[in-house]
Amino acid sequence: MTASFRMACYIFMAGITLIGGACAPSATGKTDSAASGAAGARQPGGDQRAGEGQRGKTGESDADKSSLKQLQEGKSAATAASSPLKDVFFEFDRYDLTSDARTILRANADWLKSNSSTRVEIEGHCDERGTNEYNLALGAKRAQAAREFLSTLGIPADRLSTISYGEEIPVCREQSESCWKQNRRARFVIVQGRSTS
Amino acid sequence: MKTNIFAWFFVLSFPFLAGAQVEDKIVGPGGKRFPVAVSPLKNLGTNTADSARLSTGIADAMVHDLELSGWFRVLDRSAYIENAQSSGITLGTFDLKDWATIGAEGLVKGGFTIQGDEVTVELRLFDVYQNKERIGKRYTGRVRDFRRIAHKFVDEIINQFTGIPGIFNTRIAYVSNSGGRFKEIYLSHLDGSEKFQVTDNHTINLSPDWSPDGRSILYSSFKDRSQTLYLFDLDSGKEIKFTPRGGGRYLGGKFSPDGQTIVVTLESAGNTNLYLLDRSGNVIRQVTENPGIEVSPSWSPDGKQIVFVSDRSGSPQLYILDLQSGKTRRLTYSGSYNTSPEWSPKGDRIVYTGRVGSRFAVFTMSVDGGEPRKLTSESSDSEDPTWSPDGRFIAFSSNRAGKYHLYVMQASGDNQRRLTGSGGDDTKPSWSPRLN
Repeated sequence: MTASFRMACYIFMAGITLIGGACAPSATGKTDSAASGAAGARQPGGDQRAGEGQRGKTGESDADKSSLKQLQEGKSAATAASSPLKDVFFEFDRYDLTSDARTILRANADWLKSNSSTRVEIEGHCDERGTNEYNLALGAKRAQAAREFLSTLGIPADRLSTISYGEEIPVCREQSESCWKQNRRARFVIVQGRSTS
Repeated sequence: MKTNIFAWFFVLSFPFLAGAQVEDKIVGPGGKRFPVAVSPLKNLGTNTADSARLSTGIADAMVHDLELSGWFRVLDRSAYIENAQSSGITLGTFDLKDWATIGAEGLVKGGFTIQGDEVTVELRLFDVYQNKERIGKRYTGRVRDFRRIAHKFVDEIINQFTGIPGIFNTRIAYVSNSGGRFKEIYLSHLDGSEKFQVTDNHTINLSPDWSPDGRSILYSSFKDRSQTLYLFDLDSGKEIKFTPRGGGRYLGGKFSPDGQTIVVTLESAGNTNLYLLDRSGNVIRQVTENPGIEVSPSWSPDGKQIVFVSDRSGSPQLYILDLQSGKTRRLTYSGSYNTSPEWSPKGDRIVYTGRVGSRFAVFTMSVDGGEPRKLTSESSDSEDPTWSPDGRFIAFSSNRAGKYHLYVMQASGDNQRRLTGSGGDDTKPSWSPRLN
């Protein structure tokens, strides 16, 4: 990862989505080749996918698929740039929402209010450190924290379900804090009533 | 302390080793080990396609186990003087001087007869200096299971030396992504043989646990999208799915020592708590009720207490729950991240993963608390420890060679050796009970 590239990722974490949009998919591409042989996001045809995601007119964009589905299809579980719902990020071993996370959740809530037929599954994810079972529980906490905050912003709880993937489906596979922080996330998957606008 | 225990065991149980000499030779300050030779086996029947393979294969499996135990130094086969096929395998039919000359104090010899797909194997342990046979055993089994016979005999040798049978006729269940990007459950013997893939569902399968009878594997899986537990029967290949009645997800579970109860982690609305289930998956009762994270339970050998991980103090720490009184006490106070506990079969210690700086290491601690003992180096990560059924060894996963592989060490942390090299990451080992 080059310095400027990493900087772009940090900016993405801060929630500036214009630059972040370019960062997330290429970050995955980079780590895939770096971690050849590792399980997960090796993805022939990944670029083509990103293109489909951007078209996003009808149905099946990557933004609408669960991380498990992405894994099964051999694709990155990174949220597509075209997704209207952005990831929120967490500190190590924490599930409280940072002010940056709250900013993103407010934007997500606004979109959910103007797309009131949608239902969303919130995925909780962790970085690879620690044990699998603890991280599954931590991911559940993260997803629930995001869900509760969206509820307090007026999104009906029955539109929001949660699932935890723990540390099992990372978007970045290097052993570094810049990578781990991308993996400590809550991701929002539209499971019903996708926008067709 | 360690020296004394070993010396005591060896003097008591292996009478042909005497006095101070014993301490010197086996557990001297240089960590010397008992020198033993393992001869290739003699073919006592007619030659078949399998003869040569079995002759060295059974010996190789015994060498692997003896070295892994940390108590023996197996002399290199290239130094052996006699011809294994032309010399005898009973006392008086071969020359013990050939073995004393090269420094062997113990000698394993044997022979085998193949009939169809069945093999009969005789194995003996000799005391080279005392000119005595210490163990003589005959085994019959399928040719393809010949390594199991070797493991069983090494378990006898260890019984002879230490008064407790060895643990080499066991298997390890673990999680591996060696087949691609998915995590599947595998079983294998400690020497990597008889590898068996339990799951092949192209999702994420985690937390394997053996039933105490060694006949089934409990594991968690995302194969039906929502994570839950499955109980796989190794004989029939059939399995039961455990579905939480009131919603939520089972993240993992552990069999009680009597095999009748399973303690599970149930996640619901972001909270995880421990519940007891029967073998069919029916809830017996909830045993923790906390708004935080409560995971990774493990039973005391008497089935009366459960050690588990909770973040109720603000970071993951180990706690012990007494099932009868319902009282919980905190076990770990040092370190900001302590997880994946497993109660030793002897009952006196708990092994777990603790964070040291930015790394993870394997620790043990007395069940009464006290100073934790760090067993692995923090120059890499070592995690997910599991006890051998005799409590004298610990298997764990470590990335010390790049990817995660399984390793085994003595409970003291000595003699750390790698078990697997699948090409992927091998994690979450669970050690079986002794098998038949």
